[in-house]
Amino acid sequence: MNSDGSAAPISALNRDQLRELLTQVLAAQGKDLPAGESAELAAIGFRSLDFSELALRVEDEIGRELNFDAPGLRTIRTVGDVLDFLTELQDPA
Amino acid sequence: MIAANNRLQLGEIATSWADLADAASLPDPVAVCTDDPTTAFAAVRHHADHGTELLVAARSRIDETLRAELIEAGFALPDDGVPAHRAADPGRLWLLTSGSTGRPKRVAHTLAGLTTVTAPQPPRVWLCPYSPGSYAWWQLVTLSLAVPGQDLVVPSTVDDWAAAAVAHRVTAVSGTPTFWRQALYRHGDELAGLALAQVTLGGEPVDQPILDALRAAFPTARISWIYASSEVGAAVVVHDGRAGFPASWLDRAAGDRPRLSVVDGELLVGSPHRGLDQPELIRTGDRAQLSGDRVLLPGRLGHDEINVGGTKVSAGAVREVLLGHPAVRWARVTGRRAPLVGQVVSAEIVTDGSVDSVDLQRFAGERLAETAVPRHIRILSEIPVKETLKSDV
Repeated sequence: MNSDGSAAPISALNRDQLRELLTQVLAAQGKDLPAGESAELAAIGFRSLDFSELALRVEDEIGRELNFDAPGLRTIRTVGDVLDFLTELQDPA
Repeated sequence: MIAANNRLQLGEIATSWADLADAASLPDPVAVCTDDPTTAFAAVRHHADHGTELLVAARSRIDETLRAELIEAGFALPDDGVPAHRAADPGRLWLLTSGSTGRPKRVAHTLAGLTTVTAPQPPRVWLCPYSPGSYAWWQLVTLSLAVPGQDLVVPSTVDDWAAAAVAHRVTAVSGTPTFWRQALYRHGDELAGLALAQVTLGGEPVDQPILDALRAAFPTARISWIYASSEVGAAVVVHDGRAGFPASWLDRAAGDRPRLSVVDGELLVGSPHRGLDQPELIRTGDRAQLSGDRVLLPGRLGHDEINVGGTKVSAGAVREVLLGHPAVRWARVTGRRAPLVGQVVSAEIVTDGSVDSVDLQRFAGERLAETAVPRHIRILSEIPVKETLKSDV
């Protein structure tokens, strides 16, 4: 909690918290997130715009912009890949 | 000829144009930078009597850069002890543009040019919520100065306007769509006590939902929207309660009416009320869209466009959909930087509290292309309003 009583931003979201946000993004479209991390994004209907929305939700939670320039190219194919990528993006180093 | 008997309620001060004769002693040329309505109105009366070269502006609009520009341009700034340092141009009035598209610019006018209504009108008590010196402020001031029976009420603060309007039996109110949205949202009970014969909107895109909401709130009032700016002057006045103007008005023989054209999706206006240094046909920078028998003006060109993964999305079109939700009181739509697609559509929204962002996303998703659905929605507790009564939508 900050001195003015407002909630302080979390410095980084853990894997469970990222998964919860991903669940919310899908739920808003009436879609479910399967258990585990191996589900293919194409199969659950998680597309570029959904990833963008998820990233903005993460930014709002941690109170800062993610640095998308830092990581190299990669394949984001599964739920686990999304969680890995967002975990890495939150690393200030 | 001055309609000297028209009454002016300036904050707590009750006066008239007659009472303001010789109320001010001004250098020439002069920039009157004030938030005090009596000072501003006295300067107008002085100009009407003596032709003093005059710029009126809200004090809060004059930052250090603008102040330096006015001094450089030879204006006296009486409150700052700065004298005039050039000969005046008699009869010249200066307006500052609203600065929606950059720094405010000075536009030259005359009192006669700003006086767009001179014919007899039904008696009205007008509320004037605009900040001194804006084009809309001049429209109401010149109406009251020129036409008998047109009294003005200037509220002490914009937030208090509804109480002032009830107290002084206002019968006509002019405001921006943002002003009206906020009024309907915050002052609903007080508005019920107003017997308005005239409701006027302008200064921002006017959409159908706000016109419908005003019709429901004031079923017997004439509802008019006006397209006007410091540069163009008053160019379009529509009274039929519908957004946009009739397409039959495009490119018709002008006479003394403004000429309206659409070129490459942009509204072009040739207006007899334009600023003195403006071209005959002015590119407005406002988007114009043909929709059935109407020409809609949803927002600014360029500023209105959000590029979502290569797909161009109109912020105005998204905003119009969101405003169509019965629980939405106000919306601002912008692009927000996002990975993979460059930008996504982002919205700030004020609601009546009965919906959340998921409901609104779903509502938008049923009416818009996937790329145009707001992916980031922030619910605000109240409508943000600038002193121009606009809200950067």
